[in-house]
Amino acid sequence: MADADADALLVARAKQGDKRAFEMLVVKYQRRIERLIARMVRDVDLVADIAQESFIRAYRALPQFRGESAFYTWLYRIAVNTAKKALVELKRDPLVFETAFASGEDGDETSRVENELTTGETPEALLASKEIAAAVNQAIEALSDDLRQAIVLREIEGLSYEEISEAMNCPIGTVRSRIFRAREAIAERLRPLLDTRQGGGRW
Amino acid sequence: MNSLPDDLQEQRRALSALADGQAEAVAHGCAAWAADPAARATWHAYHLIGDVMRSEDLAHSPARDERFLAAFGERLAQEPVVLAPMPVVAAPARPRLRQRWLAPAAVAAGFAAVAGMLVVTRLAAPDADVGGPVLALRAPVGGPMGGGVLPAGGALPAAAAPGVAVQDLKMIRDARLDSYLRAHREGTSGASVAVPGGALRSVETIVPAQR
Repeated sequence: MADADADALLVARAKQGDKRAFEMLVVKYQRRIERLIARMVRDVDLVADIAQESFIRAYRALPQFRGESAFYTWLYRIAVNTAKKALVELKRDPLVFETAFASGEDGDETSRVENELTTGETPEALLASKEIAAAVNQAIEALSDDLRQAIVLREIEGLSYEEISEAMNCPIGTVRSRIFRAREAIAERLRPLLDTRQGGGRW
Repeated sequence: MNSLPDDLQEQRRALSALADGQAEAVAHGCAAWAADPAARATWHAYHLIGDVMRSEDLAHSPARDERFLAAFGERLAQEPVVLAPMPVVAAPARPRLRQRWLAPAAVAAGFAAVAGMLVVTRLAAPDADVGGPVLALRAPVGGPMGGGVLPAGGALPAAAAPGVAVQDLKMIRDARLDSYLRAHREGTSGASVAVPGGALRSVETIVPAQR
């Protein structure tokens, strides 16, 4: 699986002390992990906090990750356990939990305020989400058949370059190029939406 | 896209290949991510595209992702760097050179050890001209469990029955001692390389023959 390969490359670097490589994994999985937690925790304000806590725990436990399962499977389990633990603590003592869990172990009180803003699904945020989805779909429809087929086989079917090369009967270099060109064409449509920097974002 | 400068184009190519698990892109992709905000935006865009293609409910607003990642980056910065022990990826050239002479040297050392023991055995044996049979003969003396260390072809004379002291060789031993010695020998040096006569002769324990 190409996904597992990509993760293994970044995990190996993170294990050697490259925090940036771990951040790349967070960028990749943050949305899926937040959605997973949102299915378990009704309080949307807590979803981002628990997701962050999950990623921090995963980072701390990274030396114990031996690659026997896929990275996402391992991360998934950590997120589920973190959310369960959060729910137990929430039932036991909602007020203490709210402050203790959200501010982390360092007791940084300002982060709570910041995080409350992040997870609130405002109408603007929902609209932005819909715009993103619409832009991606339109961009895919506008692709040539070859590019569309390549990106769909890669992203939806999860095939590797070798498998796509067989399926499309073309060299691997062509597969790589088609996927790149498809991504760039879609990203080109997304960039006006992504560059709004509503949150004063820092990439 | 075609109007992009070559280096930016190459950077994005590397990030796209890295997103698909192409190992040759990892160094370039990670270096770009670490150094260039545009590379981070590209990496995010590529993965957002994949997520949205798989499920539209993953179409986060960009501001939400940015805040999440900025807050996470701050927390991660406070974490000590993890360093996991990594397996040796590839054997470098020097150990391979060492291996080249190591194997014959080990074989030679093995021969030397065996030859040395045989010489010692022969020198110590009273009837040196029949060293081989002596070894075969002495090993099973008093051994109730048979000769696990018996050299091939070593014939057992009738006198060397289990538990019987062999008077003409001046060795009177208890069967329990032999069984203990055999177990000890097998546990330490390994039965296959043990030269039984040499090992036993150094013990020379006499037990009163009351059985």
